[in-house]
Amino acid sequence: MSELRMDLHTEPMILSMGPSHPATHGTVRFLLKLDGEKILNCDTEIGYLHRAFEKHCENGTWTQAFPYTDRLNYNSAVQNNVAYALAAEELLGVAGKMPERAVYVRTIMCELARLADHYTNLGAATLELGALTAFLYFVEARELVWDLIESVCGARLTSNYVRIGGLASDLPEGFADHVKRVFATNREHWRQFDKLLTKNRIFMDRMRDTGAISAEDAIALGFTGPCLRAAGVEYDVRKANPYLVYDRVDFDVPVGTTGDNFDKYLVRMEEINQSLRIVEQLLGKLPKGPININDASVRNPAKEDVKNQIQSMIHHFKNTIEGITVPAGEVYVPTEGSNGEVGFYLVSVGGGKPWKCRVRPPSFALTQGVGEMVKGAFLADIIPTFDMINLIGGECDR
Amino acid sequence: MSGAYKKVNRGVTLTLWERLYFPEVIRGVLIAAGHFVPNFVSVTKAYFGGKPSDRKIMTIYYPEEKPVLPEAYRGKPVLVRARDGRGKCVACGLCEVACPPKCISIVGGQREDGTRYPVTYVLNGAVCIFCGFCEEACPEEAIVMSDRYEGLCEYDRKPMVYDKEALLVPEEKLTRRLDYIRRRMYGKWNY
Repeated sequence: MSELRMDLHTEPMILSMGPSHPATHGTVRFLLKLDGEKILNCDTEIGYLHRAFEKHCENGTWTQAFPYTDRLNYNSAVQNNVAYALAAEELLGVAGKMPERAVYVRTIMCELARLADHYTNLGAATLELGALTAFLYFVEARELVWDLIESVCGARLTSNYVRIGGLASDLPEGFADHVKRVFATNREHWRQFDKLLTKNRIFMDRMRDTGAISAEDAIALGFTGPCLRAAGVEYDVRKANPYLVYDRVDFDVPVGTTGDNFDKYLVRMEEINQSLRIVEQLLGKLPKGPININDASVRNPAKEDVKNQIQSMIHHFKNTIEGITVPAGEVYVPTEGSNGEVGFYLVSVGGGKPWKCRVRPPSFALTQGVGEMVKGAFLADIIPTFDMINLIGGECDR
Repeated sequence: MSGAYKKVNRGVTLTLWERLYFPEVIRGVLIAAGHFVPNFVSVTKAYFGGKPSDRKIMTIYYPEEKPVLPEAYRGKPVLVRARDGRGKCVACGLCEVACPPKCISIVGGQREDGTRYPVTYVLNGAVCIFCGFCEEACPEEAIVMSDRYEGLCEYDRKPMVYDKEALLVPEEKLTRRLDYIRRRMYGKWNY
């Protein structure tokens, strides 16, 4: 072979993988430099789904940004809603005055969204490695979770559920029983998924020791979320900087060792269990009461008041037409999304529109690590590595 | 509260039995069969004279069977036609400004008895993002999100621009949604 190589004139092959490759979901392009099947270099090109999210937000009122935040990480839309609402409330100075029930419901919805996101991610990853059966089990589990989300928000993906100073609607009747039924099925699906894959030799060979990254590199690249924890760094915004009611629930945070794909898979699998635990605990102690802040200048008054009281009507019209008046200032509030830290950096100069609305998407930082993680590996290793990054184009490109 | 960072067990070791591979293949097939056989039996049973609810599967036979939608579902936005035959809309223009993609345009007018009404009310269905802000903004409960999800896509953009006649729906058909928004969304007890 080596003699042959000396005689032949060989040079590295440049291969363009994507943007429309079945495995590059979210539309991303890898410009690969290959020596045979070995990757010498990998350039990641993003931006195919850029749709000026930040500019859209700056052109609408504070409330009108919510439907656009849904479209960032569409697998876990509620988490983006919550992240934006928390940042705006911090700026308004009403963050500590939120009614208990609203905070509890927000946390429950965040965890349901995390479930949906992890189910999709793990299911799609196994699908791309050829395990269609396991994919179908997790997609069924995800559908059931999305049914739950739909019964609360009115839509499966574009939830548009959270508002500044409260929620769009209350939980439907019989929600706790619905959750109980869904979780029983989902636990069964989780067991079967685990049985099919965790000790599966083909799966282990594809996942183990591929796409590894050291803790230092992960921190240097700005990794957060399951990918950072898989590298062995104990950082979770829910524990390090508790928001909502995460300081009042009992849950563990799984941590890996080497940061390879198998660790990321195991971390996500365990996070599913922990999310189920959190939702069950919170539903057990869900307080009764209002879901919106009693401040007509922040949250629209009730419809009866709008019809009967002139003051409420004025607030309703002013809030809708001019937007909520947010005092000048800037704020950054980090939250733990399913892929990592989702944070909104908002700047207000006073008035009804955000002057600047910057989102810190976890996928963006994770995507810049792909080249690092696959260097020296085989072409086929891109698939599990990229799947475990869980790039969401809507969030990365904004 | 309690709870800590916990290491995951990545040192999954395979026993000799598992490394033999063939028994593991059979075990996998048995897990899949645990889904397949009950599904197959229940579907066959339902086909031969059973009820559709006998099918213990996730999917539904769509055009023949319709999914049961939750009350919260946001479908096509429609205008409410009150029982006296008039639309409830008073052309205040609040939905027009509340709409994030600006898909509504209204020209208001006045009837001879002094009440206001929209002379034209155009909702561009191709631009609508089904967020429900129009419903939330409307002080008259005149525009609500119906549970209609069919026939919203066309091959051309023109038929997706709905005028007043295409949007008006009698109040009797929207009682479920109107009841829901009064009870769960904008009720006074929320505050």
